[in-house]
Amino acid sequence: MRVRLEHVTHIYPATDESPPVQVLTDVSLEIRSGDFVVVMGASGSGKSTLLNLIGAVDRPTSGRLFLGDQETSSLPESALTMLRRQSIGFIFQFFNLIPTLNVFENVAFPLSLNGRGRGEIDGRVREVLDRVGLPHRATHFPGELAGGEMQRVAIGRAIIHRPSLILADEPTGNLDSRNGEMVLDLIRSLHDESAATVVMATHSDRAASRGDYIIHIADGQVTR
Amino acid sequence: MSLLRALVLRPMVREKIRTTLTVLGIAVGVAVVVAIALSNQSALRAFRESVDAVAGRANYQIASDVGIDENLLIALQPLWSRGLRFAPVIDIDGMVEASQTPIRILGVDLLSDIHFRDYRYASILSGTSAGGAPAPSPARYLDLFRTDSIIVPATFAAEHRLRLGSPLALSVLGHQTTMIVRGILEPRGPATAFNGSIGIVDIAAAQRQFGMLGQLTRVDLIVPGEEVRSAIARLLPPNARLERPSRRNERVEKMLRAFRVNLFALAGVALLVGMFLVYNTVLISILRRRKDVGVLMTLGASPGQIFAAFLAEGLLFGAAGSVIGIFLGDALAFLILRLIGRTINALYVTSEPQAIVLTPTIALVGAAVGTLLSLIAAIQPSVEAAHVRPSILIRTGLQQRVGRARRSVLAISAVLCFAAAAAVCRLPPVDGISIAGYLAVLLVVAGFSLLSPLIVTVVSSALRKPMRAAWGMVGQLASASIPASLRRTSIACAALALATGMMVAVALMVGSFRETVRVWVDQTVSSDLWLRPAKGLSNADIALFPASIVDDLRRVPFIAAVDPIRGRDVTYGDSIIAVGSGDFDVVGRYGNLPMVTPRSSQPALQDALRRKGVFVSESFALKFHKRVGDSVELPTTRGVERFPITGVYRDYSNDRGVVVMDRGLFIRAFQDDKINTVVLYLKKGVAPEEARKKLEAAFGPKYHAFAVLNREIRAEVMKIFDQTFVITYALLAVAVIVAVLGIVNTLAALILERSRELALLRIAA
Repeated sequence: MRVRLEHVTHIYPATDESPPVQVLTDVSLEIRSGDFVVVMGASGSGKSTLLNLIGAVDRPTSGRLFLGDQETSSLPESALTMLRRQSIGFIFQFFNLIPTLNVFENVAFPLSLNGRGRGEIDGRVREVLDRVGLPHRATHFPGELAGGEMQRVAIGRAIIHRPSLILADEPTGNLDSRNGEMVLDLIRSLHDESAATVVMATHSDRAASRGDYIIHIADGQVTR
Repeated sequence: MSLLRALVLRPMVREKIRTTLTVLGIAVGVAVVVAIALSNQSALRAFRESVDAVAGRANYQIASDVGIDENLLIALQPLWSRGLRFAPVIDIDGMVEASQTPIRILGVDLLSDIHFRDYRYASILSGTSAGGAPAPSPARYLDLFRTDSIIVPATFAAEHRLRLGSPLALSVLGHQTTMIVRGILEPRGPATAFNGSIGIVDIAAAQRQFGMLGQLTRVDLIVPGEEVRSAIARLLPPNARLERPSRRNERVEKMLRAFRVNLFALAGVALLVGMFLVYNTVLISILRRRKDVGVLMTLGASPGQIFAAFLAEGLLFGAAGSVIGIFLGDALAFLILRLIGRTINALYVTSEPQAIVLTPTIALVGAAVGTLLSLIAAIQPSVEAAHVRPSILIRTGLQQRVGRARRSVLAISAVLCFAAAAAVCRLPPVDGISIAGYLAVLLVVAGFSLLSPLIVTVVSSALRKPMRAAWGMVGQLASASIPASLRRTSIACAALALATGMMVAVALMVGSFRETVRVWVDQTVSSDLWLRPAKGLSNADIALFPASIVDDLRRVPFIAAVDPIRGRDVTYGDSIIAVGSGDFDVVGRYGNLPMVTPRSSQPALQDALRRKGVFVSESFALKFHKRVGDSVELPTTRGVERFPITGVYRDYSNDRGVVVMDRGLFIRAFQDDKINTVVLYLKKGVAPEEARKKLEAAFGPKYHAFAVLNREIRAEVMKIFDQTFVITYALLAVAVIVAVLGIVNTLAALILERSRELALLRIAA
């Protein structure tokens, strides 16, 4: 899936405790379909906000954002929900597994949201759990897993519905180096096996080296 | 389904304490409503079914409050050929002397009454009679018509250890009579009325034994059509009315309506508090799982799905709480029935409550009330959860502070609620029920609930310094944590405030009313002794003295004055009122009637004696818009008579309304010289205790009289008063318990949520 941003600015509105905060300023960029792109920047530079906008989780305050040929900034909420449900996979720094669902159910969740049948779900989940190396953990709950395992479950959940865009926000930020490497290898090989576009935010040079190219961001602006 | 499992089902199972507390809160609220509905139903069903059983197949009745001349039957005779069937009836209350318990006496024409009522003497005719008596011969059957014969249900016979031929001593309308049990009925038809406490006698025997020669209580009719009905209406004497048998039920139900509505309103407090609990629980669910909600929405769960999931949580809590509540209510109804049964008997009608029966309708109402209210309570937090952007939900931190702008909106809404309450409470009651009053209370509750975030914030900041001074850092942290979790703490506080507020308000109201009643009783009950024909029976008609007791008492040397009291229920328009009588001359000289108008009772009593006038109670004056100078029309034996009102007095003994007249006027109007109670004033220097002993010795054997001291009467009145309000306190206590459950729930959630912070504090020693 091709991603294009035209003069995108994003401002978080004021609250009781804080004034409005401008996190992205006039960002324009284009990511070709099938690319593995790394977004690099320091903490607070706007990486996560950029990923949220690309993932249709948030809307830009101004500017235009295209996923494929569709301008998402003008789509209604229901259409954004469907877009996320069908075409986007998310990997988070803190895994964000649902603690009340077991590994199988966490991975299966996007498929059941898409209304797939039980047989198809069973087959696909087993296949994905095999792929991420956790078939023996299917009935375990997130609280019973190690950090690296949790992230592999999260990766399984992100790819189960074969999205055309995978967004990974600091996927190794909460892992030790060995598990971090394993996760990066997994993401890279999954990208190579599919035609999905991958956008990964990180501030680690080691992680950044896995991408096809790097977009640098600082103080809400693309610098390189 | 996976969404429901993730957000609702698994958390409900995992968080057992929270789930149990919430379900219990709803269950208690629903239980109270179900218990009140069941006990009300039971208390009144007994009365309703008794009226139906005694009415039999009659579709109309000629009824009168003052008796009907039996010559009316001769006037009805020509209509027999047009299909009319009629049965004369004497239907009166009496008392079983041995057990001092009430019995209903039904005097009917035993031969012709089979058109109207089913009497099964099968137990006798089959030769297997209750009590093991031999099968009756035809001559024995004729024995039923003897003037001392009585037929009782098998259940009554068993309860009172009676068999065929047993004597049964009764006190009916002031007549002490011993009847012989000559028939035993199977429990069906009229034998089931009044819980089986009924005796059937031949009408001629009833007239002779109970001093009702030539008189009937009513005539039961099977009217074939409108034409015959109109013909009957033309034959009616002026003091009689033609009505459906169910009319009496309707009047009694109307009389009890305000009492029942009040009970439901009090039960509503517990339910309202339960609603707060559900609101708080769903809110806590959402706040605790907001990150999960954000993740699920990011993955493609729609706002509608999130809304439905949390709504389902409210629904599940409601359904589970309702089911438990229905069964809990069924068990609780027994206790409530004892409480309200006493009040209904003391203040309204004699009705022996029947067994509690959980009907599908009441179960359905309980389930609907619990489930719907829980659903309603869950709507607002569910909507809120569904409309927050996933990116905000995923971010760390609870973000649950109530913003300043929102706080001011809440404050303005609260002021509007209070203003609306002030306006609404001025509206008049609808059909005797203060709907506007209940609405005003709801608005005040809503107002304070809206204000609770502001109140909690202000109180917390005011307490910060004193708490720090008292408990150091711990105190400061505690006072700071409450506004930090304002949404849930303010709801829990509002729920507890609602419950305790209601408790305090009712306690103040009842306390103030109690004091008023105490002063009223002290003023009203100024006599030294009361003579009553039965021990412990407060209902007027059950046991009576004959008029002759007055002359006997006047001959007692230590008695200064005798005031014979008689009262009866009279139909007044669509209501049932009480008409009482006493000796106005004695009341004027010895009594101290608390007056509304005029200030002093003396001239008004004299005026009443001179003009054949009456006093009315304050509740009568308010209910029927009457005042001194107006008149009141009552059905008497001489037709409908008009009595001028010469005084309005204070009376807290009943809320139906009372008309009081001098005994002479009462006897002339109702041809009734019986006496319910004799009020006695002793000569100076006579000790009441001594007088009581002497009176019981002299009047006990002859009149079955019991003497009661002034202080005992006062204590009895206050006891009835306190019994009436026990249920009020019990219901509000339940509301407080539910609210405390809410506080426990909130604190448990806060502790779980802040376990990391608490651990840090422990690490910091």
